[in-house]
Amino acid sequence: MTGGEIKTVEQEMTIKNRFGIHARPAALIVKTVSQFASDVTISREEMIASGKSIMGLLTLEGYQGAVLKVTAVGPDADEVIAALQDLVESKFFED
Amino acid sequence: MEITVRTFYEEGKELLQLGIEAGEAFLDNPISEISLNRPGLALAGFYQYFAQKRIQVIGLAESSYLKSMTSTERSRQLALMFKKKIPALVVTRNRRAPKDLCALSTRYRIPVLRSGMITGHFMNEATLLIERLTAPSMRLHGTMVDIMGVGVLIEGPPGIGKSEAALALIERGHSLVADDITVLRKDSDRAIVASSVEVTRYHMEIRGLGIIHVPSLFGVASMRRDTKLDLIVRLKRASVDDENDRSGLTPSFREVFGLSVPLLTLPVAAGRDLAHVIEVAARNQKLKDLGHDAAKELDEKLIAMLTRKRQTR
Repeated sequence: MTGGEIKTVEQEMTIKNRFGIHARPAALIVKTVSQFASDVTISREEMIASGKSIMGLLTLEGYQGAVLKVTAVGPDADEVIAALQDLVESKFFED
Repeated sequence: MEITVRTFYEEGKELLQLGIEAGEAFLDNPISEISLNRPGLALAGFYQYFAQKRIQVIGLAESSYLKSMTSTERSRQLALMFKKKIPALVVTRNRRAPKDLCALSTRYRIPVLRSGMITGHFMNEATLLIERLTAPSMRLHGTMVDIMGVGVLIEGPPGIGKSEAALALIERGHSLVADDITVLRKDSDRAIVASSVEVTRYHMEIRGLGIIHVPSLFGVASMRRDTKLDLIVRLKRASVDDENDRSGLTPSFREVFGLSVPLLTLPVAAGRDLAHVIEVAARNQKLKDLGHDAAKELDEKLIAMLTRKRQTR
């Protein structure tokens, strides 16, 4: 995984769980991002947050149906995007 | 835990002003009920529900009643009680036990003690003593500090900085209870009391410095004999797996003597001011004890906002 070429991967994700990105999902995103080497930023409209900042993610106001733009930069950018997509699809294990 | 009359006698000798009147050879009788009894009804001949597993206390009322009897009647009544295999008998107010009591002591192998206290005080102090002696307790590795009335046990592998953290907390005005080895004792159904081992009390060992005497260096307020255990802080070396619950929404607990004690795991990374973080943890615990959970309250606010947005979108 590490040592590969630096890639930039961008993907839009639609929030599916009922309560959106509140504290628990934000903590899950941070936990997931921290397992990879790539840097992740997540944005919605003009708001932007680091994938490793719980407080930042909360300010995105990611309600159910909101579209987030996730950008990963690093050697395992594809993997981290896939892992985050899984997390969003599984509704953060909530609903 | 069961104790013997000997333990009760030896631990309470000064506190309860105890002396042995008769039956020193029988001090190893077990006390199997953690309480004391005044056997007034038994002496009157009523033995239903007689608490025979408890130490029996002869106070002013009981001894006046015994005195009102003829000596034959008194011996008969006392013998009835001794036959119940009570653990021990205590006569209060420093009155000498009458001869017939001493004879019964030998015959039924039950020690008779004397206390210099008045009965009411003796009952209170002796009950507390027996409770303390029989309370479950254990020693564990960890440094105990009192932070503004919040008792915090700092745990972690050797060399991670428990003592240094405690030292920094003392400098911030908090008190040390025990360094490295902490004694925990279940005080009641709701509380665990932490203290230090008597022999090392007031001392700390700091790597590179050796043993120091804390109150000499930091003043009397820097030490406390004991404190309630309110929070366990576990120090661990920082690693990638530390991203577990960054939100503080999923509290952890550790079972101690059947009680749930809040448990925090702090990753230790170079340059982190542990004492400061532990102090904030103690403040936050205090706030939670008052019924305010900051993480939960913020989350409720967020969920309300996100739900509103979802509906009005």
